[in-house]
Amino acid sequence: MENFLLKNIENPDSADIEEYLKIGGYKNIAKAFELEPKAIIEEVKKAGLRGRGGAGFPTAMKWSFAAADPKFPKYLLCNADEGEPGTFKDRPILEKNPHLLIEGMVISGYALGAEYGYIYLRGEYPHAKDVLNKAISQAYEKNYLGDNILGKSIKFHLAVHQGAGAYICGEETALIESLEGKRGQPRTRPPFPVNVGAWAMPTVVNNVETLCNIPYIISIGSEAYSQIGSKDCPGPKLYCVSGCVEKPGVYELPMGTSLKDIIFNHAGGIKGGKKLKAVIPGGISTPVLPESMIDCPMDFSSMPKHGSMLGSGAVIVMDESVCMVKVTYRALKFFEHESCGKCTPCREGTEWLRKSLGRIERGEGREGDIELLQEISENIMGKTFCPLGDGAAGVVLGMLKHFKGEFEEKIKAKGSRV
Amino acid sequence: MITITINGKEIKLEKPVTVLEAARANGIKIPALCAHEQLEKYGGCRLCLVEVEKMPRLQTSCTLTVADGMVIKTESENITKARRGVLEFLLINHPLDCPVCDKAGECELQDLVSKYGASAGRFKEEKRKTPESHEDRILARNMERCILCTRCVRMCKDVQGASALTIVERGGKSRMEPFSRESFNCEYCGNCHTVCPVGAILARPNIHNYRPWQIDREVETVCPYCGVGCSFILQVRDESIKRTIPKLGLGLNNGLLCSRGRWGYDFANNPERLKYPLIRKNGKLEQSSWDEALGLIVNKLQTIKNTQGGKAIAGIASPRCTNEDNYVFQKFLRTACQTNNIDSVSRLGFASAQRYFEDILGQGITANMIAGLKNSDVIIVLGGDPTAVNPILGLSVRAAARNGAKIVVIGNAKGLERFKTLKVTPPVFKEADVLEAVLSEIAKVKGPRGEKPAIDKRINELAGKYRTPEISGFNELKELLLSGKSVSIVLGTDIVQRTNGHKALFAVAGITYLLEARLYLLSERANEQGLIDMGCLPDALPGGRPLNINDFRKRFETSWGSSIPSDNGLTLMEIVDASRDKKIKALYVMGENPAFNIPNNPYVKEALSALEFLVVQDIFLTETAEIAHVVLPALSWSEKDGTYTNLERRIQRLRKAVNAPSGMEDWKIISEVSNRMGCKMQYRGTEEIIDEIADISPLYKGLTYDEITKGNCLWPYKGEPLRGVISEIPAAPEKSDDYKGDFYLVPEKLLFHSGTLSRRSSSLNRICPEPSLKIGEGHAQRLGLKDGDNVKIHASDGNLSIKISTDRYIKDNLVFISNNFEGRGVFSLLRYSLDPVTKAPGLEGCEIKIEKA
Ligand SMILES: Cc1cc2nc3c(=O)[nH]c(=O)nc-3n(C[C@H](O)[C@H](O)[C@H](O)COP(=O)(O)O)c2cc1C
Ligand code: SF4
Ligand code: SF4
Ligand code: SF4
Ligand code: FES
Repeated sequence: MENFLLKNIENPDSADIEEYLKIGGYKNIAKAFELEPKAIIEEVKKAGLRGRGGAGFPTAMKWSFAAADPKFPKYLLCNADEGEPGTFKDRPILEKNPHLLIEGMVISGYALGAEYGYIYLRGEYPHAKDVLNKAISQAYEKNYLGDNILGKSIKFHLAVHQGAGAYICGEETALIESLEGKRGQPRTRPPFPVNVGAWAMPTVVNNVETLCNIPYIISIGSEAYSQIGSKDCPGPKLYCVSGCVEKPGVYELPMGTSLKDIIFNHAGGIKGGKKLKAVIPGGISTPVLPESMIDCPMDFSSMPKHGSMLGSGAVIVMDESVCMVKVTYRALKFFEHESCGKCTPCREGTEWLRKSLGRIERGEGREGDIELLQEISENIMGKTFCPLGDGAAGVVLGMLKHFKGEFEEKIKAKGSRV
Repeated sequence: MITITINGKEIKLEKPVTVLEAARANGIKIPALCAHEQLEKYGGCRLCLVEVEKMPRLQTSCTLTVADGMVIKTESENITKARRGVLEFLLINHPLDCPVCDKAGECELQDLVSKYGASAGRFKEEKRKTPESHEDRILARNMERCILCTRCVRMCKDVQGASALTIVERGGKSRMEPFSRESFNCEYCGNCHTVCPVGAILARPNIHNYRPWQIDREVETVCPYCGVGCSFILQVRDESIKRTIPKLGLGLNNGLLCSRGRWGYDFANNPERLKYPLIRKNGKLEQSSWDEALGLIVNKLQTIKNTQGGKAIAGIASPRCTNEDNYVFQKFLRTACQTNNIDSVSRLGFASAQRYFEDILGQGITANMIAGLKNSDVIIVLGGDPTAVNPILGLSVRAAARNGAKIVVIGNAKGLERFKTLKVTPPVFKEADVLEAVLSEIAKVKGPRGEKPAIDKRINELAGKYRTPEISGFNELKELLLSGKSVSIVLGTDIVQRTNGHKALFAVAGITYLLEARLYLLSERANEQGLIDMGCLPDALPGGRPLNINDFRKRFETSWGSSIPSDNGLTLMEIVDASRDKKIKALYVMGENPAFNIPNNPYVKEALSALEFLVVQDIFLTETAEIAHVVLPALSWSEKDGTYTNLERRIQRLRKAVNAPSGMEDWKIISEVSNRMGCKMQYRGTEEIIDEIADISPLYKGLTYDEITKGNCLWPYKGEPLRGVISEIPAAPEKSDDYKGDFYLVPEKLLFHSGTLSRRSSSLNRICPEPSLKIGEGHAQRLGLKDGDNVKIHASDGNLSIKISTDRYIKDNLVFISNNFEGRGVFSLLRYSLDPVTKAPGLEGCEIKIEKA
């Protein structure tokens, strides 16, 4: 398959509008403007596009809710917060292919009836901010953004809003709060953002990668698009592979490529010829899979059947030398640090888990600790306000499920294994 | 109709509420910590989890709205486990210091833990540590106990509208903090403290001072401060008030209070309270017996009445005394003393405006429910800041704004700055011109209403005269008013205090009339309306019966068994003048401090000093008591029974909560004097007084304490408005000045103080310890001054050293000082001239110079 999302990124000037135009960029706007907004949503629906932010929600469905709401103005927010550990798939687009994102947002805005867009950008991506701002001003100059895009009286304005380093602000309602200048915490749903979102107006939040798929659908048509990769969630997918592999990086592959294939073919296998131990397939919030379970298609519907989730498609590979207690501890340190504090189980539970894991990790484990970890996690799981807490509990439960022995050993040995 | 099933029980609901609300309304208990009836949904604590059929996860009942056919279970093994889990989480970082926590005994967490039985015994790690903060003067913060429910934050932002609090940091490091960091520096309503389910926000005025279970008595009563009339519970121990507690469902304040109501109660516990009668001997006030003091009063009043006639006697009634006190007071003056010279400081604003409006619009025109404000779509606020004068009414204005109402502020109202749609600043002291123009413009569109010919006629006369003022926002103002479907007008007394105040009042009346608006009159003191209803006016008997109509007077004469002089008496300012001119020889002051509370203090003092005989009944040795001949100790509001009538004309009961060590009820002292003067008053208690009032006043017909307790006490209580409207609008020649001076001094009404009562409250003094000169920030900068600088101000009647506080919202060249602090009240500097129509003092035009000290 030819790259679409990462097309031309080897070109050092790929972020420049002229380079983008040279490879046929922005052509899809004109093509899309030929269609009625409704027809675009229909195309996206037929294409079967599912959101790449982690949950795999059907994009066309989200759009149609917002489009049907009679309130104006509507907002289109691009979720470029990319905070999930192990995830760096949106980064090459943001830094190397910003015009693809802009093109996608202009078309999406038109389809939804949104005239204002924001890119909510991860605080730790300062370079991307410069690139995006430059790209946006170039797009304004060339009239791909503004009040009268391509002379068609179609309006779309776009600006970058930089986050301040909170993982929770990647959750769409917390993102909206933060964009509004408030404390980054998720909101109660319903009402959903598609009806009551930013400044209480209908709002669509889509991941960077999701939005970049739109020009592709317009370009090749829903029919051809739906043939790519897995049947029920087709399209190209960015997999970002990190950890103990020979060639870590971002790979654009058809949705549903097997995890094994990704690690051993595309990422060059385990580094230094070591033995694979476990993989976290979709970012830290997705349950770990032991080496024996990696023969699974990486898409939204298959992964749950194989005991995990696709998440953001961030494949974290761990070889035989990695201590799973330590990984769990590190993950919980992250979750404790990033818990927004709104709800009790996540706020208190992650702290308790981290403290207990830290103790075990330091060789101060006690009898009953495993049962305790299990119970704390169960008391979190399914009881939190947003999925962040579930993610934290899921890590521990997954680790205990597959690597309980390592925890027991560590508690007994009262010392570090590695 | 929505039908749901909870625990197998079918429940029908009119409207979609939350599952928690539906359950509670049907007696099904679900534990909840972050949810609160008055606050927006939050869903943070996760205690209220329930099972809902067809939903995969447990659901928080406080955020889930019912849907037809929903099947809910509130108890199951799974739910119990989840709740225990949540409670255990809440406890892991919660200190085990219930034995020293003020909240113990009424802590929602403690109650839930004892009910659901969770422990944090499994938590072997170190707890988070944050020392209790006592940086603030009033509210202490114990963030170890905080369970991060954010009730306080939501209360402060969404209900109080002060937005003073937030949660800082995140995750386990989260803690509540005022935006102003260590000190709260807020409106000090204490409503955050009320809703905190645990002991995380503590009230320093009573910290470690009582335990909830050590209270001797809990008595439901009404706040002594302003005319809103909030209800609360007084908790008493050892004959001293420990706390005031508002409650959901109690009174019109429904769980809320303002700073004065919350903290100001402690004046009653003040050791400086008067304990025994005083008589001036050899120029000094000396302790005496009741008998001697009363004997002297009777003797003096009798002599003066017999030699000079009742006209030489006058009385000043009190808007802080009960209806019963005031009723007895005016009856005493009219019968025993044979005088109609009865008025009160309410003449400074409320009574003047009230009488004026009733004269031209009809009785009861201001009897509107505060709760109704929330339903208005346009609210005009002028003549004062409701959030300071009548804070709980002010909250309704803020709530209306949140509901989408347009708030128009004419003049200054700082507490509404963040809620207003439009602010119009009239040229100084020219409010009347602006209002007349607004009225005329509205009349152009609406035409005459034809219901009240006198008003239509005057509006018609104005049409040829008014000029459109050149101020920004005038057209918008007009459009907004015309766009309103349900307009309310909230009127403060500042614009009454103009020599041509009646012109502004007419314009307001006209706007009210044409837009069929609801009119609310701000009332600074608790019983201003009651005092009017009781006939503490020189020209009206109880129930607003005009004195000079023989039939009415006759009825009262028969009932009281005494003649009543037929001429109207003198108004407040006229009483002062007449005292100075020695036409009035004796003045009887009940619960008032005219030497301080009437403008032009030096003049008033001079006048009072000229009196042959001055009697003061009070609970403190006020400026007036200091120059009196006889001073009698009365009782505080917490020590007596009676009723107050609030600005909506809701009649409410005051209940005795504390046994006073000394002093006597005002009505009892007066009755005693009256008896000794030969006019019998044999009341055995306040109930007998209210019976008499109910018998004689058309407005309180058939009223009993039982009825009041039931809540049947709203205007028009069984009675009907009886006074017709006048046929000709009174007018007076105009006085004109263009006020081109640098700065003009006017009175400020503080949120944290009220009259001279609050200066005896140590809590309110802690919040606001000294007066300041409020000045627009721009003006201060121009003078090279910054907030907190000391200045000297020069007025024609004296100088004052004071610190300034700058205010970025004040744009005009008005500067403000309050009239609360001893020796530094604004009334010591303000002269007045009378509004010839309302007889209120006009306070405009006091030009001052400001100089850096
Ligand atoms: C804790 C948390 C963090 C998230 N972070 C991100 C993120 O960094 N980027 C992202 O696109 N979606 C993130 N999401 C998912 C968003 O809430 C949302 O589902 C997504 O932006 C929707 O876009 P899509 O429909 O295009 O997938 C996060 C969700 C949660 C619960
Ligand atoms: S699970 Fe709760 S505390 Fe954790 S991030 Fe979500 S809302 Fe915040
Ligand atoms: S006392 Fe009132 S104004 Fe102050 S923080 Fe609490 S709720 Fe807000
Ligand atoms: S201080 Fe009290 S009300 Fe505020 S968040 Fe903490 S526990 Fe809740
Ligand atoms: S009461 Fe429902 S989550 Fe707190």
